Amino acid sequence: MADLLGQLESLAMGAREASASAADERALEELRVRFLGKKGELSAVLRGMGALPAGERPRVGEVANRVRDQVEALLAARKASLAGAALEAELSGPALDVTLPGRHLAPRGGRHPVTQVREAIVGVFQRLGYEVTDGPEIELDWYNFEALNIPADHPARDMQDTFYVDEATLGPGEQKGDVVLRTHTSPVQIRAMLRAGKPPIRVICPGRVYRSDYDMTHSPMFHQVEGLCVDEGITFADLKGTLAAFARAFFGPGTRTRFRPSYFPFVEPGAEVDVSCTICGGTGKKDGKRCGTCKETGWLEVLGAGMVHPRLLANVGYDPARHTGFAFGMGVERMAMLRFGIDDLRLFFENDLRFLEQF
Amino acid sequence: MRISLQWLSEYVDLPAPEELARRLTAVGLEVEAVERTGQGLDGVVAARILSSVKHPDAEKLSVTSVDRGDGRPLQVVCGARNYQVGDLVPLATVGTTLPGGTRISKAKLRGVESFGMLCSARELGLSEDASGLLILPPDAVPGTPIATALKLDDVLFEVNVTPNRPDALSHLGIAREVAAATGTPLKRPAAAPREGGPPAAEAVKVRIEAPEKCARYAARVVEGVTIGPSPLWLQRRLERCGIRAISNVVDVTNLVLLELGHPLHAFDLDKVAGAEIVVRAARPGERMTTLDGKERVLDPDDLVIADRDRSSALAGVMGGGDSEISAGTRRVLVESAWFQPATVRRTAKRHGLHTEASHRFERGADPGMVTAALDRCAALIAELAGGTVRPGVVDAQARPAPRTTVRLRWKRPGQLLGLEVAAGDIRRILGGLGFTERDSDGEGATWEVPSWRVDVTIEEDLVEELTRTLGYQVIPETLPRLALDTPAIAPRLEAQARTRVALEGHGFREVVSYAFVPPQDLEAFEPGVKPVALKNPISAELAVMRTSVVPSLLRTAAFNRRQGRDTSRLYELASAFWPRAGADRDPPAVERPVVAAVLTGRRSPLSWATTGEPSDFHDLKGAVESVLAALGVEAVFEQAGRAVAWLHPRAAALVRSSDGARLGALGEIHPRVALAFDLPRGVLACELDAAALLAASRLVPGYRPIPRLPAVLRDLAVVVDEPVAAAAVTALVREEPLVEEVTLFDVYRGAPLAGGRKSLALAIRYRASDRTLTDAEADAAHARIVERLTRAVGAQLRA
Ligand SMILES: [Zn+2]
Repeated sequence: MADLLGQLESLAMGAREASASAADERALEELRVRFLGKKGELSAVLRGMGALPAGERPRVGEVANRVRDQVEALLAARKASLAGAALEAELSGPALDVTLPGRHLAPRGGRHPVTQVREAIVGVFQRLGYEVTDGPEIELDWYNFEALNIPADHPARDMQDTFYVDEATLGPGEQKGDVVLRTHTSPVQIRAMLRAGKPPIRVICPGRVYRSDYDMTHSPMFHQVEGLCVDEGITFADLKGTLAAFARAFFGPGTRTRFRPSYFPFVEPGAEVDVSCTICGGTGKKDGKRCGTCKETGWLEVLGAGMVHPRLLANVGYDPARHTGFAFGMGVERMAMLRFGIDDLRLFFENDLRFLEQF
Repeated sequence: MRISLQWLSEYVDLPAPEELARRLTAVGLEVEAVERTGQGLDGVVAARILSSVKHPDAEKLSVTSVDRGDGRPLQVVCGARNYQVGDLVPLATVGTTLPGGTRISKAKLRGVESFGMLCSARELGLSEDASGLLILPPDAVPGTPIATALKLDDVLFEVNVTPNRPDALSHLGIAREVAAATGTPLKRPAAAPREGGPPAAEAVKVRIEAPEKCARYAARVVEGVTIGPSPLWLQRRLERCGIRAISNVVDVTNLVLLELGHPLHAFDLDKVAGAEIVVRAARPGERMTTLDGKERVLDPDDLVIADRDRSSALAGVMGGGDSEISAGTRRVLVESAWFQPATVRRTAKRHGLHTEASHRFERGADPGMVTAALDRCAALIAELAGGTVRPGVVDAQARPAPRTTVRLRWKRPGQLLGLEVAAGDIRRILGGLGFTERDSDGEGATWEVPSWRVDVTIEEDLVEELTRTLGYQVIPETLPRLALDTPAIAPRLEAQARTRVALEGHGFREVVSYAFVPPQDLEAFEPGVKPVALKNPISAELAVMRTSVVPSLLRTAAFNRRQGRDTSRLYELASAFWPRAGADRDPPAVERPVVAAVLTGRRSPLSWATTGEPSDFHDLKGAVESVLAALGVEAVFEQAGRAVAWLHPRAAALVRSSDGARLGALGEIHPRVALAFDLPRGVLACELDAAALLAASRLVPGYRPIPRLPAVLRDLAVVVDEPVAAAAVTALVREEPLVEEVTLFDVYRGAPLAGGRKSLALAIRYRASDRTLTDAEADAAHARIVERLTRAVGAQLRA
C-alpha cells in the first residue's frame, strides 16, 4: 500500500512541476491526458489497487481522489494564468491611432441660418399659444395694401418698393386688381382673420417677402414674421407684455424693450420697438470703445407693432367696437444678423457653403 | 426733412440739441442724423480791408492791409478785385487749414510777404462761388470767428417724418411739436404784407374748372420786382435744407415752403396769357415743357395750371418753362393752393417727378395755411426783391376748408391702452397739440382737429396723440387674458420638419434662394415653360417666378463649384409658382410648395476612411426614401423615361404614391441642363411635391405586433434578362403569402453569365403568423417562388 501511496505522491509532485512549466493550452491538454486520461498515470496507479487487500482500498481510493482533484485544480489554475497572460499581452500591444478622423459616410447636413432663427422666433410664439399660419407670396393688391389701410395713391405705398406681376402671365381671365409679390407678411393678418371668421385669433405668420431694393442692407427677397392677436379687451399693455416676453425669450433674460411712436398704416397707435443692445448690453460701450452694433445708443430697432387699425377689423367683418387686437412684425434676417454678428445681408442668399456650414 | 436748429429757434425756445433729438424721437419724429455745420473753419476770422495797392511785380495781385480786430494791421496779398476798401472779408490766418485741405503759412508772393489769405465762399466750402472774396455783412466785427459772423455754427437734424405727418414737414411744424412737448409758447412768423396800388383782382382772374381736384386756389400779385440773387442768409437757409438757391423770388417761395410747409409757385404775370389762371384737367394729347426742361405729354387725369392759351404748370408738382420767373420778370403772381392729394400723387408718379411740393401735397397740405403762406411769401418778395403787393387776394375758394371733428370717449384710452388717462390729462395734451374741445359730457368729448393734422380722423388717432405725448413707457406690461388653448401643430408643418431632418441626416444643407430667376434658366430646364413674370424686375436675372426650385439649386451648386467645392448636397423647401388654370382669382397664382435637392461630386467627404466614389442615382434615391419613410409614405418608383424634361431619360424616375398620385421625380440631370448650368455630367436632382407627399403621408404610424413565432431564412439567386426590373422580381416573391420580407442583397453581371443577363441575390424571410413554420413548408414556398419567377420573367436558378 505504501508503494501505491508513494506513487500517488510523486504523481502529484510531477503534475505540479509539469503544469507550472506548461507553455500553452495545448501543453496543458497533453498534461491532462498524461496524468488523468484513461491511459494516464493516475489510471495506472489505480489499476494497481486490485492487488491490495480490501481493507486498504478505501484509503488508497481516498488519496487517489484527492490527487485527481489536486491535478485538475493545478491544470485549471495554470490555464487561467496562461489566459490572463495572453490577454495582458494582447492589451499591451500597439494602440490604434485615435487621432485619425472618424468615418463620415455623408457630409454633415444642416439648416440655413435664416431658417434656424425663424424657427426660434416662431417657437417662442408657439409656446405662447400662437398658431402658425401662412398665405400666398403672389398676392392681390387688396390683401397686400387696400385691406391694410394702404389705399392706392397713398404715400404710405412709397414705404415699400413693390414688385408688380405681369397679369398677362397669370393665366386667362380678368384679375381682381393689381397683383404683387407681397411686400410684407401683413396680408396674412387679413387672410387669417377671414379664415377664422371671428375672434379670438392668435396667429404667427412666417414667410418670404419681396421688395424691389438691392444693396448691402436690402435684399429683393427676405423673411418676416408677423403676429396677430385679436379678442375682446386686448390692449396695448398686452402688446408690450407679449413683446417684452418674446425679447427675453429670444435675446436673453436681461433684455429690455423700448416702444417709440411710429407709423404703420395698419395699426393705430403704432410703435417701433427697440431691444437693449445684444452686444454691449445696452451700455453703448464695448470694451471701453463705441459699440458699432447699436451705434452707441444702447438700443437696437427690431420690431414694428401696434393696435390693429379699426378699419382692418371692419374690412374683414369684425366689430371694431367690440374687438381690439395687436399686431407686430419683424425681419428674420435682421434678427439673424444680430444673433450671429453678420454684417452683409447678401451672404444669406449667396449660399456659399463656406458660409452656410458655419451654422 | 432737414431742420436747421438756428432757424427753428426763431419759433420756439429749444433745449440742447441732444435733448431736442430725444424729445422729437419720443413723440414719433425720429431724428435719424445730426450734423453740425461751421466746423473746420477755426482760424478764419472777419477782417476789414484798410487799404489796397497794386502789387509792384504782378499785374493781377493786390497788396492789402487788413484789420483783424487787434489793432495791428496785417499785410495780405490778394488776387481778387471784387472788394472795396472798408469791406469786411474772411481772413484765413497763418496756421489755418481750410476745408479743402489748403494750409495757410507765411508766404512771399513775387517778393511781397503775405500773412494769411483772404477767402472766397468756395475756399471756405460755403458755396460754389469763387468769383471773388466773400463780402461779409457790414455789421460784422473784425476778429469774430467766421462761423459766428456768418451764423454758420448751426445744427442740422435729419428728421424721419412718416407719411402720415405732412404737418411736420416744415420748421413751423416741428416747432409746433417742440412747443407742445416742452410746454413752451410758439412764435409764429409775421405775415401780412404792406399793400399798394390797384386791387390784385384787376390784374388777374382765377377760375377752377376741376373743383374735385383743387379745393382752393389763391393768388397775390407783386409788381415792380427786381430779380437778383437772394441775400446770403436766405441762400444759406435753403442750402442747409438741401435746396439750391436760384433767385430772390423763387428762393422766397422755397423759404416759405420750408418755413410753413405750404408749397407755393411764382409765375411771371406778364407771361400769363389773357391775365387769367385756369385750374383744369389736361386736355388729351396736351404737351408741356416742365422746369426741368422735359417736354411731357399730359394725361387727362393730370391737373394743370393754365392761362387762356395753354398749361403752364403741373398742379402741385412742377412749374412749366413758359411762365418761369426770369431775369426780366417785373410782375409776379404767387400761387397758394390746396390740391387733392391723390391727384398730385398720380401726376407725380405718372411723370416720374418727386418734388418738395408734390411730397407735401400728396400727403395732405394744411388747408388753413393757404392764405397765411401766400401773405408771408408776398411780403418777403416785396422786402427782398422790391416791388409793391397789390391789395387783396384773388381767391377762388371752390369750397371751404373742411372742419374735422372726432369724438373721444373718456374710457376709450383705457380700453385700448390698458392705461386709464384722466380727463384732465386728455384736455391738457390735446389742447397743447391744437385740438379744440367742442362739447363734452359724461361719456366723452368732441374735438375739432387743427387744420394741419390731416391724419387725425378717428377716435384711435386721438388715443395715439395721447400715447405719443405721454410716452409708451407709462403703459404697463401685461399678457393677454385669453382662454388657455394650445393649437395642434399643423400636419404640413410636422411633415416639413420631418423632411428637413431626413434630408439633413443624409448630409443635405439647406439653401435659401430667390424665388425669381432668369427666364433662360427655366427655358433650359423645361423648354416652352410659361412662368409668371414680373412687370418691374430689378434685372433680367430676377425676372420670372420659378416653376421649379431645382434650377436655383443647380445655380448654387455651380456657384460653389467655382469656389472650389465640387461636392455638395443642397436642399430647399420653397414654393414653385404657376399661372392659374381655373377661374378663381384668389389667390392670383398657383403656389406649389416643393422639396428640392441636388447632389454633386463624391458620395462621402474626402477621407482616409471612405472611398472616393462619385454619388450616383441610388445615393439620391436613398435620401428620397428616407424622406418618404419619415412621412410614412408608401411609394413606388418607376422609370420616367422622357416624361421629365430636365432628367436624363436613362436615369430618371417618377415617384408615385401607392394609389398612383405623382409625388415627384428624381434622377441625373439631362446633359442639356448640365451644359446650361455649367455643371459636369452626373449631377443628381429631385423635386417632390410637398402637398402630394402630405396627402400620401401617415404621420402617426399604426402598430403591428412583434412576431413571436420563429422565421425561416432562405437565400435565392436568380438570373434574369437585364430589362427585368428588380422591383418586378421582388414583387413576384412577395406574392407568396408566407414571405414576410425580401431583401435584394446583390446584383451581379459578368462571367459566367451571358451578356444581357444579371443575377439577383435575394434574402427571403418566411414566417407564418399562427404556427411555427416547418422546413418542409418553407421549402415548398421557396419552390413556388422559383416556379413563379421562371414563368413570369424567365428567371433561372443560379447554380
Ligand atoms: Zn451696443
